[in-house]
Amino acid sequence: MNKLDRRLVFGWLGLLALAAIEFGGSYLPLPRSLRPLLLLPALAMVATVALLFMRVATGPAIVRSFAIATVFWLIILLGLGTLDPMTRAVYQVQSTELP
Amino acid sequence: MSEEIAPHVHFQYANARHQAETAISGMWLFLATEALLFGGLLLAWVVSRHWQQSSFDAGGRETVLWIGTINLALLITSSFVYSTGLGSIEGGQPRRLIQCCWITAGIGLLFLLLKFYEWHIDLSEHLFPAGPFKLHGAEAGGARLFWTFYFVATGLHAAHMTAGIGLVLWVARQARRGAYSAAWHTPVEVVGLYWSFVDMVWIVLYPMIYLVGRGA
Repeated sequence: MNKLDRRLVFGWLGLLALAAIEFGGSYLPLPRSLRPLLLLPALAMVATVALLFMRVATGPAIVRSFAIATVFWLIILLGLGTLDPMTRAVYQVQSTELP
Repeated sequence: MSEEIAPHVHFQYANARHQAETAISGMWLFLATEALLFGGLLLAWVVSRHWQQSSFDAGGRETVLWIGTINLALLITSSFVYSTGLGSIEGGQPRRLIQCCWITAGIGLLFLLLKFYEWHIDLSEHLFPAGPFKLHGAEAGGARLFWTFYFVATGLHAAHMTAGIGLVLWVARQARRGAYSAAWHTPVEVVGLYWSFVDMVWIVLYPMIYLVGRGA
């Protein structure tokens, strides 16, 4: 087994371990508002796939700039998109009787 | 022309490396647009769940966890196998690349078969958001939203998987015809990027669909 194959095997086992952590974490009694934290192992897995299988770190500089731009625009999309619902106060409207 | 050009290098490129980098960059640019397409779905999930957490999670608890988990392991493994195939052609072993492509496509097909089976279970349990629905009362609204997200996200992902399987089989056919060597194998790299991206999408969708709603 050469060096690249060894790295790929370790990466694959690491990904499966992260998947197991994510699966096991779903059984923790987390409050509903904190359950999206279960996405954290998924983000680590995405980074592993990008670095190991997609070779983003060793690719041409323009590839790294496209990858960084993707993350940047995803942050803009999700950040601005969730800003309003996350900060909006919801007031209950009293029911009114029609005359 | 005074300068001799390698057989795979088209006239507009300075050399083979320039051509390869352009193809790889082009695929990355395409994947950036794909990431924003799926990013919109992620935003829909965040906003829908934020407004109706309890009923949205109730919908999530109806998913078939074992199929989603097996599919996650399958896709991670398929990306690993394809990457070893890419390493093989870089070392001048086209035969091993062909084997890796067949295994990758086979795993992809197994993923799709499990997905179709899962959809069959979902539909037979009346979880399609339009029409008679399994959940009633206060839980119905958010759960219907969840299942709308589920069918759009998994359908879109399955369409990408189908395209990916086709591309991997095309790479295998080209490799069998002797198209790739240690010196030139750009299409193998480009298809690998696409396949890994499709894997990434499932890695993100898995906790959103199967895990967050459970235990809440």
